[in-house]
Amino acid sequence: MMINLGTSLKTSPPAAAAMTVAGAEPPPRRRRRPLLPYGLLLPAAAILALTLGYPLLRLVLISLQDYGLRSLFTGVVGWAGTANYIAVLQSPDLTPVLARSIGFCAALVIGTLVIGLGVALLMRQLGRRMRAAVMFALIAAWAIPNVASTLIWQWLFQPVYGVVNWLLTRVGVLGDLTQHDWTTSAFSAFTLVWLLVVWQSVPFVALTLHAGLTQIPRSYYEAAAIDGAGPLRVFTTITLPFLRPILGLVTILSVIWDFTVFNQIWILTQGGPSGRTTTLGIWTFTTAFSKNSFGQGGAIAVVSVVLLIAMTAVYVRRLVRSGETI
Amino acid sequence: MRIARNTAATLFCVVWLFPVYWMVNTAFKPYGDILSTTPRFLPFPFTPANFVDAVTKSGFLRDLGNSVLITAAVVAVAIVVAFLAATALTRFRFPGRRGFLIGVLVVQMVPVPALVIPLFLSLKSVHLLNTFLGLGLTYVALVLPFTIWTLRGFLHGIPVELEEAAMVDGAGRGTVIRRILLPLVLPGIVATSVFAFITAWNDFLFAYVVMKDQSGYTLPVWLVSFSTSTGTDYGGLIAASTLFALPVVVFFALVQRRLVEGMTAGAVKG
Amino acid sequence: MPRRSLAALPLAAALALAACGGPADTNSAQGKAITVWLMDGDLSDKAVAAINTAFEKATGATVTVQVQEWDNINTKISTALAQDSTPDVLEIGNTDVPLFAANGALADLTDHKADLSAGQDWLPGLAGPATVDGKIYAAPLFAGNRAVVYRKSIWAKAGVTTPPTTYAELTADLDKVKAANPDPAFSAFNFPGQYWYGALQFVWDAGGQLATQDGPKWTGALEKPAAQQGLKAWQQFQNTYSGAASRNVDTKAPDQAAMFAQGNTSAILDTSVNTILKDNPSIKDDIGTFPFPGAAPGRTQPVFLGGSDLGIAAKSHNQDLALKYLKTAADPNVQKSAIAGIDGWTPVSTQIIDQVTPSLPPLSAAFFAAAKSSGATPATAGWATVESDKSINTFFADIATGRKSTADAARDFDAHLDQALNASQ
Repeated sequence: MMINLGTSLKTSPPAAAAMTVAGAEPPPRRRRRPLLPYGLLLPAAAILALTLGYPLLRLVLISLQDYGLRSLFTGVVGWAGTANYIAVLQSPDLTPVLARSIGFCAALVIGTLVIGLGVALLMRQLGRRMRAAVMFALIAAWAIPNVASTLIWQWLFQPVYGVVNWLLTRVGVLGDLTQHDWTTSAFSAFTLVWLLVVWQSVPFVALTLHAGLTQIPRSYYEAAAIDGAGPLRVFTTITLPFLRPILGLVTILSVIWDFTVFNQIWILTQGGPSGRTTTLGIWTFTTAFSKNSFGQGGAIAVVSVVLLIAMTAVYVRRLVRSGETI
Repeated sequence: MRIARNTAATLFCVVWLFPVYWMVNTAFKPYGDILSTTPRFLPFPFTPANFVDAVTKSGFLRDLGNSVLITAAVVAVAIVVAFLAATALTRFRFPGRRGFLIGVLVVQMVPVPALVIPLFLSLKSVHLLNTFLGLGLTYVALVLPFTIWTLRGFLHGIPVELEEAAMVDGAGRGTVIRRILLPLVLPGIVATSVFAFITAWNDFLFAYVVMKDQSGYTLPVWLVSFSTSTGTDYGGLIAASTLFALPVVVFFALVQRRLVEGMTAGAVKG
Repeated sequence: MPRRSLAALPLAAALALAACGGPADTNSAQGKAITVWLMDGDLSDKAVAAINTAFEKATGATVTVQVQEWDNINTKISTALAQDSTPDVLEIGNTDVPLFAANGALADLTDHKADLSAGQDWLPGLAGPATVDGKIYAAPLFAGNRAVVYRKSIWAKAGVTTPPTTYAELTADLDKVKAANPDPAFSAFNFPGQYWYGALQFVWDAGGQLATQDGPKWTGALEKPAAQQGLKAWQQFQNTYSGAASRNVDTKAPDQAAMFAQGNTSAILDTSVNTILKDNPSIKDDIGTFPFPGAAPGRTQPVFLGGSDLGIAAKSHNQDLALKYLKTAADPNVQKSAIAGIDGWTPVSTQIIDQVTPSLPPLSAAFFAAAKSSGATPATAGWATVESDKSINTFFADIATGRKSTADAARDFDAHLDQALNASQ
């Protein structure tokens, strides 16, 4: 198959083009059975409704209640009206926590996506063995249980005995770091957590993007090579348009996950020093579980969902539309 | 160019594998050696004692069995359910489709710590607490959004013409799904099943909260049993973690490579 | 039809799962059996068996023990007690008892107190947190507490051959050890900055308190002069004898027991020597213990008493049997033979401690001696907040690192205590 890169590819992504053509006239048999798609969706919808949808409604309900431990044991709940929301919105912690969460989330998403995409592209270019090695590294990092990876991180970076401190001291650029404690300043504490989260999330992004890349027909690249297109042009005219839906998906999911990241920060810094690494995830946890104020924790969760929707609305819309061709 | 690429790949592997290597290295050392001011990069003196501690710790086999059962069921159910949903979303147009897609993304946005209590209350009201079914459904729901969206992306990439051509040639629906759709979305299925596997395999919190009785615990609960009020058996914990991660790595490294290699010779070639 | 079979798959899988069912419900309410939740790593299997045998002999009922993990235990217990079939008896960390007691999860044992204690004076660190608003909700199971563990050979090399008995002697000895070991990676006494259990001893020793109660209202008391004096003494001690890298860390990274086992520090404050011996069995005869001496001569620092209580789930259908189980566990004979004898934990009353002390191996004696003077955390549900959100870790680390002055840190933390301790949970 030969295509003219100069015209068709620039204006319309090949995937979309193929789908538009193929889907322009839906076959009549599909119209005759309007119930079939619902039947296909039913299992997914039922499971999601039971274990995420209904709890989500419960969460909204709880956020309007005075729901604490006593309510959990006795089932007796009092209404709080908007008190939980007012408490959250008036809290002096709100603005710094949000600023930190957004900034840290951006740093995580950018780091994860840049490295993940780079690795995915690299893997397509590698020989069989080298690719297997990269794949192995990705899966290995992904498979390490959380309890172990956070512990290893503590060991790698612990003052006096940490191997990273030792290596950095050996390299010598930053001076003697053997006594350096990474958790004593907000910046280096964030760096420590950033390294861990990125290390853990790159495998997911890289493997998903790599799977997406394998779907691009090689013939497009061959055609591009014949047309003498440079690597950057090939990337922007073939790879990127093809990859866009999956890239969009992993971006949104990364934003969602990184915005509320909790475990890694909690174990490495507990939100310290002096609360300066306290992000939304930490705040939700300490409110809901340390203070056992599930109502107020619920309010924080609802507020952060609303924020996430606001932040991602444009993108979600485009993502949903990206397949609107049937 | 080739050298540059291989160098970059090697560098990546070294950086990404270093923590893994450090875990394995530590697991084979007497635990106290972790605290030497000059790090030891090879496990000498070498000892399997940590592994012996780990596998002889009570509950290992019971929790391993539970984990295998739950994880296998979750991966199978999640993939099938998501594949059906993705088919509906890409091959049919019907009211509520966009709403479903957006809804699925939105439920992802709730911070997990905030979901624990509401989820607990929901499972309580349908009497699924302390059952593998309740725990399994929880995991399926946690992975479905990603699975549905990803498979939808992959199904989009496949021209409907292909299926129609096959139907014209006399192939039944089932044949079309098996012979044409499935092979083409295989990379997507592999990627999502890794995701589903690791989510179900690694979860601690839900397994601990949903399963009231000890007999229903999974391996991650066993893993945290190395930490007690009197101190943590770090040597045992790190050896146990190695054992915990190893089968996943080996299995998926093999599966992924074979399937993806097989796929590139597939039908989309143009 | 392949399509139908595909669609049927998840249902089949779900059915298969349902058929496997959940784990067997061990929680039967039919009279002669109770379920007991114990915490991982506290009592040994042998000690548990001893208690259970005594209980089964006395009642003819059987016991099912389920061992729980510490990680997220409060969430686990909260959700378990919210269900209809709860465990009957639960071991709860002593400082967490008020959280459950004040919220209606545990049965009120006030009427049975005399029967349960059998004339013993329970250690205040265990009984205090179990007493909320004058009512008692749990019976003590065992105590664990802290004494100084030191390396005899390192101290001997610096010229110290007998353990110190006063605070002045202790610091003089540590000065010698420090002078003899100038390596920056070596600490004479490793005292992590977040180690609040240990740091509290200094506050109590100086006559300070975490918080004081006036009627139903709690007030943070760390700004008071006595507490300030204790905090300053601790800061001085920490900064002088523990390495600079220890000021912001907890006891886990670096692991202080392993540091001790490796000879990177010559002394730590800890609850037992078991972890150290597991890391390095060869130093068994080189370890010594003594209670941390107090500032006033002839006194030891009041210790933070760790340990556990046993409570009865308010929803348990076996209240009577559960009560008998508590009575069995707190019984002086069981305490002597199982808790102290088999496990080496500190028994729950001063009388029993006195009775068993003469027959103790020397390494354990210091821990038992230290327990006789103990402090307790505020007996209110809000205390769990302070432990769980780690604000108390941060408070002490702020002081150790000098991020805040003791006055500033106390002012901020007192404000947090005022809020947390008085919050209705």
